[in-house]
Amino acid sequence: MSSHEFAKPGEYKIIDLLAVSAAREVNDGEVVFAGTGLPMLAIMLAQKTTSPGAYCIYEAGSVDGRPIHLPASVGDARCVYGGAIASGLFDVFNQLHRGKVDLAFLGGAEIDKYGNVNTTAMGDYLKPSARLTGSGGNADINSLAKRTVFMMVQEKRRFVDNVSYVTSPGWKIPKFPGREFVPKQEIYGKFHRGGPSAVITNMGVFRFDQETGKMYLDTVHPGFSAQDVKDNCSFDLDISRVSGETKPPTYHELELLYKVIDPEGIFLP
Amino acid sequence: MSLTEAISMINDGDMLTFSGFTIWRRPMAAIYEIVRQQKKNLHLVEVNSGTHSEVLIGAGCVKVWESCWIGHELFGKLGANLARKVKTGELIVNDYSHVHMVLRLMAGAMGVPYLPTAASMGTDILNPEFDTLANNGLRNGENPKIPAQKYEFAKDNFFDMGELLHIPAARPDVCIMLVQQVGEEGTVRISGQKYTDEEAAKAADKVIVIAEEVVPEEYLRREPDRNLLPPYMVDAIVELPMAGHPTGCYGRYEVDGDFMRNFYSSTKTQEGFDAWAKEWIFDVKDHFEYLEKLGVKRLEALRANSALSYSNKVKRGAR
Repeated sequence: MSSHEFAKPGEYKIIDLLAVSAAREVNDGEVVFAGTGLPMLAIMLAQKTTSPGAYCIYEAGSVDGRPIHLPASVGDARCVYGGAIASGLFDVFNQLHRGKVDLAFLGGAEIDKYGNVNTTAMGDYLKPSARLTGSGGNADINSLAKRTVFMMVQEKRRFVDNVSYVTSPGWKIPKFPGREFVPKQEIYGKFHRGGPSAVITNMGVFRFDQETGKMYLDTVHPGFSAQDVKDNCSFDLDISRVSGETKPPTYHELELLYKVIDPEGIFLP
Repeated sequence: MSLTEAISMINDGDMLTFSGFTIWRRPMAAIYEIVRQQKKNLHLVEVNSGTHSEVLIGAGCVKVWESCWIGHELFGKLGANLARKVKTGELIVNDYSHVHMVLRLMAGAMGVPYLPTAASMGTDILNPEFDTLANNGLRNGENPKIPAQKYEFAKDNFFDMGELLHIPAARPDVCIMLVQQVGEEGTVRISGQKYTDEEAAKAADKVIVIAEEVVPEEYLRREPDRNLLPPYMVDAIVELPMAGHPTGCYGRYEVDGDFMRNFYSSTKTQEGFDAWAKEWIFDVKDHFEYLEKLGVKRLEALRANSALSYSNKVKRGAR
């Protein structure tokens, strides 16, 4: 049995599939902004498999670290170990602003069909039913990176027609006060570099149509149908372009994740 | 200077900012002392917020919070005190993005009124209906620290880059820092990631430095390229070991995740926070009694390995 064979259903967890699917979005040589948790697993897995020349920036200020123990946060001392530079937010967000960042991994509580994301507050912003963590770098990174990949939980209440609050801009942005959707390019002009290129959930991988800016289902994770995904989405999801099943992790990737990257079980319990 | 004296430099209503990032290198001993001295109506201006501000907000010391994020990372998914007090209307929250907040401090550090950016345009961060400081009548010029506008757009006439966002400077009254080393005269050295420490310190009118250790000034001056601030930018020095607990300090000690998890679960109700504050702030006489309560065993496990700059003795995951 080759270790590069795909694992069978039951031999891996959904979080493993999320990590490997995200890792497969990284191209060799790219500069990648990653946040705490799954994005860390994804970039490290990519560096140990398909993209050994990818560079990782953590937003607290570490550049191209070579940690020997998995960081538990982007501010962690472990991010700095073996790094090229330990600087700060001004430096690394300037690099983003300047156009040096190819890809970033982000998360969100709500997303709409154009990739607008809410991480700030649910319900009425001024009197929220739930106050969340806030924008952080999400809005900036989605504004100025060439590509972003969102990792989210697939639920009807999270995949919505209109997010409660636009923390982070998608391909078309609801402009206040009328909330009509206008193309991101109109707002960003010469600073427009791209936008969300994929959304990876526990049920499938989504991409965006270049013309309409709308999300469509690309691959379905093993064990789910396209209809299952559509049923867990509030907006009218395009499932006509499904290209097949998401490739499961290989035994080699699982070995790397559990034995090399996160042997302590910090993000992979 | 004693911690009590240093914190008495802060007035009710002051605008404060801090060193560090979420759960790293926060001046926690100073935060606890602010709560003991029961400062009121503080206006926090910061980039990534974390456990330190959750303590101040829970204790009712804060009136306005201007930032972009709050939480305890892996050890508590959001700022529960802030979330509760936004709902009850006890706290004014004004959102910006990371880049906006960094530029606000940088503009303050440079002494210019604003800096331009293209970050986070088109988002509800800029929705004028959501300008909570304006909604509360706080942009009327009475407080010179609060800018007249949250932001403005202006066309670039230099390189024709279109409409850019101008973000106003932040000029905090006080920056409270936790640093690894300070010289006898006040030269500051920090190690590891610098977060937004330089911008925060230089933007503020007064800088209070809480240092893990005071070292001979001459030692820091052997390698000036490693230093962050000259002595004339520092207004108070307090030497206190482990003054960042439960946050982590590069090269010195680890984040105390168990302590933080317990704090986060306590903050889900006001009663829970109050009980926590009684136990860990009001019922301990000072920082050393706090450390004694934590115990040698716990503190020793957190101590960083000198080669790695972090502890490898703390159990972090499920395996």
